Amino acid sequence: MLPKFASVIAKTREEALSWLSSLENPRIIAGGTDLMVKMRAGKQYSHVIDVAGVPELLTMTETDGRLSVGSAMTHARLSTSEPIIRNARSLALACGLVGSPQIRNMGTIGGNLANASPAADSIPPLLIHDAVLVLESKETRRRVPLEEVIVAPYVTSIDRKELLGSVEINPLRGYREGYRRVAKRATWAISRLGVAFAIKEDKGRFTDVKLAIGSCTPMPFRPKKVEDLLKGAEKNEAIITEAIRMALEEIKLISGIRPSYAYKLPVLKGILEEVLRG
Amino acid sequence: MKTISFVLNGKKTSIEVDDNETLLGALRERLGITSVKEGCGIGECGTCTVLVDDEPHYSCLTLASKANGRDIKTVEYLSSSGVLHPLQEAFIKSGAVQCGYCTPGMLLCAYSLLLKNADPDARDIKEAISGNLCRCTGYIQIEEAIKNAAEICKCDR
Ligand SMILES: Cc1cc2nc3c(=O)[nH]c(=O)nc-3n(C[C@H](O)[C@H](O)[C@H](O)COP(=O)(O)OP(=O)(O)OC[C@H]3O[C@@H](n4cnc5c(N)ncnc54)[C@H](O)[C@@H]3O)c2cc1C
Ligand code: FES
Ligand code: FES
Repeated sequence: MLPKFASVIAKTREEALSWLSSLENPRIIAGGTDLMVKMRAGKQYSHVIDVAGVPELLTMTETDGRLSVGSAMTHARLSTSEPIIRNARSLALACGLVGSPQIRNMGTIGGNLANASPAADSIPPLLIHDAVLVLESKETRRRVPLEEVIVAPYVTSIDRKELLGSVEINPLRGYREGYRRVAKRATWAISRLGVAFAIKEDKGRFTDVKLAIGSCTPMPFRPKKVEDLLKGAEKNEAIITEAIRMALEEIKLISGIRPSYAYKLPVLKGILEEVLRG
Repeated sequence: MKTISFVLNGKKTSIEVDDNETLLGALRERLGITSVKEGCGIGECGTCTVLVDDEPHYSCLTLASKANGRDIKTVEYLSSSGVLHPLQEAFIKSGAVQCGYCTPGMLLCAYSLLLKNADPDARDIKEAISGNLCRCTGYIQIEEAIKNAAEICKCDR
């Protein structure tokens, strides 16, 4: 049984925003795959605002070379969307690995971001695409880089009165791009490790390298120093070894030594070797 | 309370539901459709699977109000003409039904797969039922049944 709450179904963005501003203790629901589980465990809200059918949140547009993805788009749609596969392959792959087919048909990218789990599969790919979130309230509209929105595990700077409207990403073309995930099993298991990568090479050199690592530190992160080391460097075993050493050091610096690292770090090393060697 | 209208197994249906009611609860308690079952209630077993616009969803994590205006199918739809669907026949023949608890969800996922893909390979089939647990069969019989049904459905076309 769920706790008592009143539910409203928003038909437009405007409607969702005015409910958010006028209701006492509202909570947005999209797919419900995180929120319903929480409410079942006892979380209480006065009102639940259903935004899953809001047309403005279900569109994808391209402007000035940036791709804008509506927050209520499901993992199932994103994993099979032509523009996403073409411009953000790691995101398509990651969305295609979330939960189970049913979870992918229900769960949305907005919910995945707002929930801000350290293991959220969409986050590492969005980081390498320099994602910017469009956050709106009745009075305000702001665009905030994903890195700044997630402030701690499961904590974001999204205000209770704000709606995540869309996520803007930089398309990456001409990159070798992907997402590697390690979990206890293929379905229904949260990621123990998630690595998004996009690598450009030319004549034996790395011309650009973007990496993001999830499920390892409190928040998924981009090892920017490692990216800088590799950018422009000749591709050889020595530089790859050094890059991986730096990445693992950075993780230990962020999180200290954790019991899980006895397993995770050697696996991460293996994944990064494969990814960088290509 | 809210009044919601939707198509249930091909028939227009209107019911009153509570704001905090799940689609699973509404189907079972208000409409008497007990083929939709609560195994876990948290999205981890698949026994509550229904098709929403022909795509599998977990009704335990779906607010009943979300069904408004949609097409909802439960396993009853498959035999609504009075004869068993080839998938159901194939499940029986292959021994894909033991305790039967997972069967409605498995059938709906298989049906949804065949709508999109008339010629699924073993991977497609595994993928399609990967959100549904079976504690009895070991899955082999279920996969075999879906493969066989796909063959039969192809011949029927
Ligand atoms: C069995 C199971 C397996 C799972 N497996 C995975 C997995 O492998 N990988 C993974 O990453 N996740 C997984 N999840 C978690 C979940 O499915 C995802 O995080 C999903 O993307 C959440 O989206 P939703 O639309 O269902 O969110 P909801 O539950 O609707 O919402 C989640 C949170 O986000 C807020 N929110 C939603 N939309 C907006 C918006 N537009 N603006 C502001 N706030 C908003 C809600 O208020 C709520 O706090 C799993 C969940 C379950 C139950
Ligand atoms: S009861 Fe819904 S998935 Fe288990
Ligand atoms: S037949 Fe018993 S759970 Fe599948």
